[in-house]
Amino acid sequence: MKIVLDRPRCEGHGLCEEAAPELMHLDDDGELVLDREEIGDTDAAQAGAAVRVCPVAALRLS
Amino acid sequence: MSTPVRRVVVVGNGIAGLTAADTLRGAGFDGELTVIGDEAHAAYSRPALSKALLLDGDDLSSHELAPPTHGAAELLGVRATGLDVDRRLVRLDDGTELPYDRVVLATGSRARRLSDAPGEFTLRGLDDAFALRERLAGRPSVVVVGGGPLGMEIASGCLASGCRVTLVSQGVPLIRQLGPHLAGVFVKAALERGLAIVETGSARLEDRAGETRVVLDEGTVVEAGLVVSAVGDVPNTEWLAGTGLAGRDGAVRVDARGLARPGIAAVGDLAAFPTSGGPRRIPLWSSAIEQAKTAAAALVRGEDAPPLRFQPYFWTEQFGLTLKAVGRLPVDGEPAYLEGAPGGPALMRWSHGDGSGTAAALNHRIPIPRLRRASGEAG
Repeated sequence: MKIVLDRPRCEGHGLCEEAAPELMHLDDDGELVLDREEIGDTDAAQAGAAVRVCPVAALRLS
Repeated sequence: MSTPVRRVVVVGNGIAGLTAADTLRGAGFDGELTVIGDEAHAAYSRPALSKALLLDGDDLSSHELAPPTHGAAELLGVRATGLDVDRRLVRLDDGTELPYDRVVLATGSRARRLSDAPGEFTLRGLDDAFALRERLAGRPSVVVVGGGPLGMEIASGCLASGCRVTLVSQGVPLIRQLGPHLAGVFVKAALERGLAIVETGSARLEDRAGETRVVLDEGTVVEAGLVVSAVGDVPNTEWLAGTGLAGRDGAVRVDARGLARPGIAAVGDLAAFPTSGGPRRIPLWSSAIEQAKTAAAALVRGEDAPPLRFQPYFWTEQFGLTLKAVGRLPVDGEPAYLEGAPGGPALMRWSHGDGSGTAAALNHRIPIPRLRRASGEAG
């Protein structure tokens, strides 16, 4: 499984970072950085929560 | 001893219901899960309706969410009409009775209206947003009644669509929600972009020969081609009549784990949960999500599940400004500037007497965890 970021949609709320701090973070400019794109089973729940919490649906799992 | 949990019914397919369903699965519930949604649409992002969706070109995708992964049976375009707590059944408007072991009440709220006039537009659901966009395409003159965040976002969207817009507000727009400093910042930006603001004590709508117009407290009439009201929301809890679950204000009181009673969770805009200021409805995106996560875990794990710990996150986009705030609102007085300066992009903080604070980022991209830390730091 992979996390995909649709960067033009991202508004930098950072709610995803709060849901999945081990998988992504906003950098000093407020731009989202995916620290890991390939997601194993152990991180699937966290990744799903990060996707769900985004109010502009800038993230998806594929 | 509690019954085994085989069947859970989630009534409501907004972000609260959707998150509850996701969380139930995440917490290990693998039984029969049903989600009821009264709109035919898939779950969508409500905050987007009054922001990006009003400004979208023909793309119209700003509100779309990633498809659900909870694997529930989704009954969409169906309305719940009753709850039988003794027989543990949800009644639907197509006559179906759905049995449950646990139920999640997440039917949200609807726009409060000022009249029955068909000319009174409101913006609450996706169909409302599409209808509003269609009307705005004709560039009507617009009067928006309601100076809260939603009314101001709608006014901003209408202005950006090329309409002449008047906003009717009880007092200074946003002052009750954000406090004088931030309200001043937004009102200045709104006036610079051409918004006309009319302050009034009260306003009512009147239908005259098929035209809807706004009558202010001193009798002044404001006429426009399109009247939109944004004057608050009312919980959708009529279907709970007879259960004693909804209070006189329509809200369902819940405990710190989102439970109204054993086996019955209530989450999202209809739920009043314990806060330091007493039981409150906090109808915001992140509030709905945190409530839903907490309550769904409590339905599966009971007392072992952690109670809700939550600091509201609020954001708005209007008149070229983006505000993100964590902590109590409204805020009094002038802020301390942690970054930036008055009149430009800034990270601001207000200190409260109890050591807590409110942090707000204006036109300034900042991770929420940092914003939360800034709200907590001593100023």
